[in-house]
Amino acid sequence: MSPDLLRKRAQLLWAVRSWFQEQGYLEINVPIRVRSPAFESQLFAPQVGEQFLHTSPEFSLKRVLASGLPRVYAICPCFREEEWGPLHSGEFTMVEWYRAGCGYREMMEDVQQLLVLAAETLGVSLDPIERMTHAEAYLRFSKGPAPADSVEAQRVWVNDIEPQLQAPTFVVDYPAEEAAFAQIRGPVAERFELFYKGVELANAFSELLDGEELLQRWEANNAERVASGHAPHPVDERLLAAVSGHPRAGGVALGLDRLVYVLLGLEDIRQSQVPG
Amino acid sequence: MALKYQTSDFRNGLKIELDGNPYQIVYFQFVKPGKGTAFTRTKLKSLINGNVIERTFRTGETLEAADCEEITMQYQYDEGDMFHFMNMESFDQVGIHKDVMDGAEKYLIDGLELDVMVYKGRPVGVELPNFIIAEITFCEPGVKGNTAQGATKPATFANGATVLVPLFIDQGETIKVDTRSKEYAGRVKQ
Repeated sequence: MSPDLLRKRAQLLWAVRSWFQEQGYLEINVPIRVRSPAFESQLFAPQVGEQFLHTSPEFSLKRVLASGLPRVYAICPCFREEEWGPLHSGEFTMVEWYRAGCGYREMMEDVQQLLVLAAETLGVSLDPIERMTHAEAYLRFSKGPAPADSVEAQRVWVNDIEPQLQAPTFVVDYPAEEAAFAQIRGPVAERFELFYKGVELANAFSELLDGEELLQRWEANNAERVASGHAPHPVDERLLAAVSGHPRAGGVALGLDRLVYVLLGLEDIRQSQVPG
Repeated sequence: MALKYQTSDFRNGLKIELDGNPYQIVYFQFVKPGKGTAFTRTKLKSLINGNVIERTFRTGETLEAADCEEITMQYQYDEGDMFHFMNMESFDQVGIHKDVMDGAEKYLIDGLELDVMVYKGRPVGVELPNFIIAEITFCEPGVKGNTAQGATKPATFANGATVLVPLFIDQGETIKVDTRSKEYAGRVKQ
């Protein structure tokens, strides 16, 4: 924490909120304490009494989107346990937004505009932005196509590919088994992530619109959670109903602390946070 | 039975055994690509030759603790590149080479006790106390009335360590130094 970094972070927050305002997005105050904090098996939320602190504002924003507001966003604290190191903090700030009537391609344009805006606001230059598919990233940065074994494929990603994504890079079209909340189209999930200087900054989907399918993925994740010795996360029935009633939509989650970290070349994301 | 560590136990300085050799974790980073699997990327420093290697572990993998013990030893004297200590448990004399001291020798003062890491009977590293209190053997004279915030000058200790101190500190004064950050941590009235 330093006055200079807090000032820059505040300028960035102001610029981001202004951008959302210009684009017609409504800022939503989402609840932080929730009944159902996440569905992916590797997300662990702190428990508070019978409830949890959310791992992202995703579920709340999706329910708001389904209520009839076509463009919504939140900038809020999120909580994740069992993640550590210079790029992870138990509490961090997420910028997350959803837009009806579009898919992940349009969301990429949003992310690109925000990235350029953030660099301008912080007074740093941005390297040229690249785009490649998940499969192309393996061909370009590892010894060949992704290994068939999913754990090995991810190990190659972590060891060989991610550290080489030094330019701002949109990696698009993830394997269907890494769909999370994304719609699946043939062999790929309509998902992208933004990397810069080897760090994942944002994750986006063409949102799944099928409550039944979501329930199946949720149960599969809960089974993995139980197998790894963790308690299952409650299924959010309101979310399942909301998802089935959604218009076509795209959504993005962007880590604000990491954005500051990467653009300013910090050593730890905590440097722009106030210690808890 | 050897102590086991999980990736969630990782922290800088942790000593682990890998392929029969002892390493110390000098950097680690949690990574969660895609979904379903999390990894911890590490940089490991060999406790034998100081080489740094990179390894990635999957969350849930376990590793054995290195067969290392930390023994408190007291500094006695030095002789060329060898620094002699007394093992405070056995009262044996132990010689440690400058390469193993790895810069810590610059902070040695008479009677200083520090932790020596011993791997299979051989000293492989030393850890200074977080703070040491020592006399400044050389620095430029203090500047009276200069209260500019953050203004510093270098000060040197008997064994060669140099730290930046505020301008009002004089040669011959005793100060406290944080050996982790190598920073001035306060003046000590004798």
